[in-house]
Amino acid sequence: MDQEQLEKKWLADELTNEELEDFKKLGDYNLNLDIIENAKYFKASHFSSVKGFEHLKANLKEKTAPVIKLQSFKILYRIAALFVLGLTTYFFLFYNNLTTVKTLASQKTSFELPDASSVMLNAFSKAEFNKKKWAEKREVTLQGEAFFKVAKGSKFDVITTNGIISVLGTQFNVKNRSNYFEVKCFEGIVSINSNGTSHRLTQGNTYRVINNVVVVDTTIKNQPEWLDNLSSFKSVPLYEVIAELERQYDVVISVKKEDTNRLFTGGFVHNNLEHALASVTVPFNMTYKKDSSNKITIYKIE
Amino acid sequence: MLDNVCDEKIFSTIYNDYAKDLHDYLYYKYGDQFDPNDKVQEAFIKLWDKCKDVTFEKAKGFLFMVAKNMMLNEIKHKKIVLKHQKIKPKDYTNEDPEFLLEKEQFLEKYQRALTKLTEEQRTIFLLNKVEGKKHQEIADMLGISKRVVEYRIYTAFSVIKSEIKEFK
Repeated sequence: MDQEQLEKKWLADELTNEELEDFKKLGDYNLNLDIIENAKYFKASHFSSVKGFEHLKANLKEKTAPVIKLQSFKILYRIAALFVLGLTTYFFLFYNNLTTVKTLASQKTSFELPDASSVMLNAFSKAEFNKKKWAEKREVTLQGEAFFKVAKGSKFDVITTNGIISVLGTQFNVKNRSNYFEVKCFEGIVSINSNGTSHRLTQGNTYRVINNVVVVDTTIKNQPEWLDNLSSFKSVPLYEVIAELERQYDVVISVKKEDTNRLFTGGFVHNNLEHALASVTVPFNMTYKKDSSNKITIYKIE
Repeated sequence: MLDNVCDEKIFSTIYNDYAKDLHDYLYYKYGDQFDPNDKVQEAFIKLWDKCKDVTFEKAKGFLFMVAKNMMLNEIKHKKIVLKHQKIKPKDYTNEDPEFLLEKEQFLEKYQRALTKLTEEQRTIFLLNKVEGKKHQEIADMLGISKRVVEYRIYTAFSVIKSEIKEFK
């Protein structure tokens, strides 16, 4: 295929993988990319953008105020009827009283469930539960990390992407981040269903899955450290520690020339970024520098 | 069911659906010398005045036609220069000044190349590559066929490329 045809197909986004390889071999490949890539700098909205409807409406009213037609009322009624119909259908079919509680980076919050069980949500996490059906099934869907104090009663399920944690009445912490799943039981017994296997966790024990490797450990604390504004880790890969730092302080951290799979045992505070960074970097013989207010680079001391 | 667009709710839907497209189209075609935003407002006021005669389906075509005609009345086929965003060093973690300068120079060449395009080539190319409009959407907007859109994108691209190469 000749250059012209390849370019035409490329512009239309129709190249097959094979043709794409041929296209990449063309001398102009980088220039071709640059042209498409840099077009965005000419985007209209950088220089001029359209005003909202309210602005137009102000101009319309002056011109049309005296001409109110009966006919337009009829259409208005039709639309109102449709609207009511749509809303009713929506309520009956889809609206199921789902309550969502969410935190952003460097935020924590706590809330009560309908049966006086309480949940404390760590930074950058999300919990969802159904208020209406709570009496039938106690179920919370969780992304991120939370500490649960469950009131005694029927089965209580926490659903995460990594598995389901079921209890009757206890206190436990769930941490469900990408490639990292950890349940700590502080009171009572917790049952974990994850990847088809079931595991019972008794008081004072920790169940941790990092990159599909399961570790069972103990804990001496009676509540998670993050409730005291502290994150602690035991043999956890550095990248996960850094991810937690990013969530707690709402910063972006990049690591230079260091294997982030190395394990870290220790902790950091949530109220002093300098101390927290030192706690994590010093053990690895590393240091850090602030690139801007929320960008940090960690690197090895030469 | 909707035999005209005189209802305010319908009218505001039309506004929210098409005002930005119309604005971007006018901007890429004629630059900002005649304030594309004003033209958008005027076109919608015209539509409101004629709302009894325009059906919901025809509204889009009506708007593009009116706006284009208004522009044609004013424009004296001047050279259109589109502005480009200044590169902010902050956008890059790598703040190599040489890199920034090169990029700035590239954009200036790019800007010059865009002025060499015909109105239609420039409009179609930028609507597709910047605003991400599909070939069919652009064809509908301009009332031309999809093949023409594809061909214009390619010719626009070739002109830009040869202009940039010439100034290297």
